[in-house]
Amino acid sequence: MTMTSPHPPVSDIDIYSDAVLDDPYEAYRTLRDIGPVVQLASQPVWVITRYADVRNALANAEVFSSGAGVGVSDDMNALQAGSVLASDDPQHALLRSILSEKVSPRALGKLKTHIDEQADSLVASVVSAGRFDAVSDLAARLPVSVVADLIGLPATGRELLLPGADAMFASFGPMDERLVGRLPEVMAYVQYMTEMASRENLAPGSWGAAILDAVDDGRLGPESAMPLLAAYLIASMDTTVHALGNYIRFLAEDRDLWNRLKADPSLIGKGFEENLRLESPAQSFTRRTTRAVDVDGTVIPEGTRVAVCFASANRDERHYPDPDRFDIDRGAFDHLAFGYATHGCAGQGLARMENQALISALLRRVERIDITEEPRRHPHPIIRGLEHLQVAVVPARGTGR
Amino acid sequence: MTHINADHERCEGHGLCEQIAPEVYRVNDDGEVELLVDEVPDGLRAQAEAGARVCPVAALHILALHPNDP
Repeated sequence: MTMTSPHPPVSDIDIYSDAVLDDPYEAYRTLRDIGPVVQLASQPVWVITRYADVRNALANAEVFSSGAGVGVSDDMNALQAGSVLASDDPQHALLRSILSEKVSPRALGKLKTHIDEQADSLVASVVSAGRFDAVSDLAARLPVSVVADLIGLPATGRELLLPGADAMFASFGPMDERLVGRLPEVMAYVQYMTEMASRENLAPGSWGAAILDAVDDGRLGPESAMPLLAAYLIASMDTTVHALGNYIRFLAEDRDLWNRLKADPSLIGKGFEENLRLESPAQSFTRRTTRAVDVDGTVIPEGTRVAVCFASANRDERHYPDPDRFDIDRGAFDHLAFGYATHGCAGQGLARMENQALISALLRRVERIDITEEPRRHPHPIIRGLEHLQVAVVPARGTGR
Repeated sequence: MTHINADHERCEGHGLCEQIAPEVYRVNDDGEVELLVDEVPDGLRAQAEAGARVCPVAALHILALHPNDP
């Protein structure tokens, strides 16, 4: 038996405030040092920030339930209820199986050539321009075109995909003036997705059409079609965009790292994981406890909304020595940026494939890359990434123009 | 004795186990995990555990069986 305290420590730190989000890592460290579980005074959540505890909570999905939503606001959580993200097994397992038939690595193999070609032509076009924004001109374009094609969406309306997903992710944050300001976008995007979830809008043989097939053959209730389409569309957009943008920043800031990867592109995947560990695109989600649970000596009561902070876990010095340093040789494949276990990101294979395609094309076609303006953070309560990353490149010799 | 339990229902073929522990795990052409050893020899035990740890969907579990266990 461990001794358990009746009350958790309380902190004034607001992990969803812009002040913290601009540079959250000191705040996360403070929270980790206060205790395994900390109640936030400013938000209706308790927060788990240490690697071992976050990992255990994610692995214990029966107690740390997603069924009542994974955001902060109960109003927004009610809207997501029953989606693959906001459900528990067995319903979650059924929804996930329909997604993973298409999106699991075993299903993705035959897409590799197509994604490589798209990435290469995107990189070729920005490199010929010489100067570009590595977020909006490059990182943001690959996931939109790849995923929209796979889902089978019509060309018109695709411009909604990225800002719409960004707004939907914002709805996982607190219901404050920032989120209220984005509710019209959330509503417009839900309407767009509702319209798209029909035979006339989804290309035959696409992932989107496969969802409608699952409805037709009785595996999926008709009410689940739009939310499942949404799960593909939301989860695969700005998470991937910012993972790629953040990685390009690390590569552009560190000449030795850039040269090492240019000399040995087999390290691209390892570097991507280290990038995800250090700058986790989804900083935190929440769970709700289905019973009282002891986390390393602190008891969380039943029915508590708990933030599981992936980004803090990934910088926990109890697990990763010198955690703030980008160390490609660390081999930190156990990071929690994709979550873990039951709700571990189903699309992580696709993200890795897009990364491999884009970064290898960049390393092949670019000799040298320099950041020309101080990068600016994309303001967002959940997603960590860059608004802009202005770069200038010197093309590699012999890659053709 | 150390034994690995692979949950084929959960496995989605992400292949991280194989990257970390290629002497223990293989993801075949159908994207399914295969165990290359029945019982894990002591020399591969650390590798087997590391490979199980990185499974993103927690499909791999190491079972340490002791002779005195029922």
